[in-house]
Amino acid sequence: MTLFNNFRKLSNFVKPLKRTECLIVLSRRTFANGTYDYDLAVLGGGSGGLACAKEAINQGAKVAVLDFVTPSPQGTKWGLGGTCVNVGCIPKKLMHQAALLGEAIHEAVAYGWQVPSVDQVKINWSSLTEAVQNHIKSVNWVTRVDLREKKIEYINGLGSFKDPHTIIATLKNGSQKELTAKNIVIAVGGRPHYPDIPGAKEYCISSDDIFSLSNPPGKTLVVGAGYIGLECAGFLNSLGYSSTVLVRSVPLRGFDQQMAGMITSEMEEKGVKFHHRCIPVSVEKLETGQLRARWLNTETKEQGEDIFDTVLLATGRYALTEQLNLKAAGVNVLSENGKVVAETEQTNVPHIYAVGDVLEGRPELTPVAIHAGRLLARRMFGGASQLMDYDNVATTVFTPLEYGCVGLSEEQATQRYGADNLEVYHAFYKPTEFFIPQRNIRNCYLKAVALREAPQKILGLHFVGPVAGEVIQGFAAAVKCGITMEQLVNTVGIHPTVAEEFTRLNITKRSGKDPNPASCCS
Amino acid sequence: MNGVMLSQGLRSPMRHLAGLRRAKAISTSIVHNETIFVKNNDEFVNKVMNNDKPVIVNFHAEWCEPCKILTPKLKELIEPLNNLDLAVVDVEDNAELVHTFEVKAVPAVIAIRNGLIVDKFIGLVDADMINNLIDRMSGKKKDGA
Repeated sequence: MTLFNNFRKLSNFVKPLKRTECLIVLSRRTFANGTYDYDLAVLGGGSGGLACAKEAINQGAKVAVLDFVTPSPQGTKWGLGGTCVNVGCIPKKLMHQAALLGEAIHEAVAYGWQVPSVDQVKINWSSLTEAVQNHIKSVNWVTRVDLREKKIEYINGLGSFKDPHTIIATLKNGSQKELTAKNIVIAVGGRPHYPDIPGAKEYCISSDDIFSLSNPPGKTLVVGAGYIGLECAGFLNSLGYSSTVLVRSVPLRGFDQQMAGMITSEMEEKGVKFHHRCIPVSVEKLETGQLRARWLNTETKEQGEDIFDTVLLATGRYALTEQLNLKAAGVNVLSENGKVVAETEQTNVPHIYAVGDVLEGRPELTPVAIHAGRLLARRMFGGASQLMDYDNVATTVFTPLEYGCVGLSEEQATQRYGADNLEVYHAFYKPTEFFIPQRNIRNCYLKAVALREAPQKILGLHFVGPVAGEVIQGFAAAVKCGITMEQLVNTVGIHPTVAEEFTRLNITKRSGKDPNPASCCS
Repeated sequence: MNGVMLSQGLRSPMRHLAGLRRAKAISTSIVHNETIFVKNNDEFVNKVMNNDKPVIVNFHAEWCEPCKILTPKLKELIEPLNNLDLAVVDVEDNAELVHTFEVKAVPAVIAIRNGLIVDKFIGLVDADMINNLIDRMSGKKKDGA
């Protein structure tokens, strides 16, 4: 309200001046102290942006948050909260949970539960998406109420720079608002990348669309084997929608490849088809409404094709920096991928910062953005000096059998220290709960990558198994404290759990001994 | 404890809405039992604050499962009564009212008589509490019973 009134008054004033004395007006606005509309303007109302804004308000700053969702090529849009809340972590975890519950119903029979017509148990896609979307809307609402209460001005408009201290927000109806801010944080995140092939934008969906898809996805082709592609293929398959994955190079590139292999093995054993070294060539719509997808094996040069109900593209995400008009702000630190290069979240323009997925070379994770955003606000307004520590950030891939890890992969550790200076402890294990329903234990595996020299400081922990996220979280704190193998194996495990397997590690890869478990309890 | 909460509740939103009270008052003495669906502040002032009858105000959201149980229940119990009205406020359409009444969770029910808040509860409460509230507001029971 106030902003609009100010804008009206200003435009009456500025228009006549613009032609003759625009230079003076500009200098008056940028150099005079205390004449900015806000102490901080945050571009992007996602995990990073909101955390930064809320901390800044705590520090006494006057804050505005701009958030806007450009509809996906399929027309999907969503409310305040960013990727995580609307089309990322939250709906993903809910669908992953739905998939696990479906599996549990069948396992329950082995435990003695009398489930009538268990073979006819199936998912109602509309009920699932409705429940998920209702939850997301409640989070959108609570977020808005929270901003209102904290007196953070929320503008539902797409922000772009007019000059280093001025932002233009374009609202849904096309009208524009202008605001000035002493400090600006770019937290615009990213969106799914669409490959340049015929039919991509017209017929394919992305993670932006899957969680609110109006019709059941049916037989699905997932293009891409990063964590988004694998997680989606995983839960879709478990929900009963046959899934195929096209892998361009390797699955989970950047992650420990041995563990990535376990994940894909498990998915294959559950019925997900993988086409390795394949890139998509085209997608066309048939008269039946189904899609014919064609791909090319880059190694054998063989062409493949099949008919699907849905094609889901998960070929990477790109940062939304282009629409910001960074040139007008003087920000020139973009990487080749269009991400902002800012070691300490500060760009080349001292009062313009960046946080979250938009940053180059940083883990694209919600907790990372939140933590970095908070520390940034404290440095901007609270006189603090603590920088964000991006090392040893734990993460989990929520495929039906989950993969959690913290620290370096075996490849990274080998590259950094040399194989001779490392000791890798590993083991397969059998979760107690898997025996009765005879669940596959072939891919239940964990390893610790440590320095060879005593006390063998741990560089990385990797775990494939149920509730991997819950298992790894505590160990992330341990790694932060510099835990060594000596300390780990002297930790008494909790029995029976899967996490205790970390305390039972004693076989090294170097010894060549069989890492398969003999029996439990000894 | 309830007494303190109520008196605190009486102050802040009332100060805010006091200004709005100067808006034109529409007579609501027509026997009217339909549920009031509040679309904006003016409607709220006219049909709730300036209502001769006490009003039960139900803050509701489409995405809220408990609301889908409570709202129909309230309608069922209140529509037949001719000395008590029900107003449903969709939280997505009425951000200012949400802010004024400090509604942080839904469903939320606020009982208003002569423009003053006399009771409030948050969440899906059991049938007894609902019936109790309705009885008190429609005069069947004495306040404080």
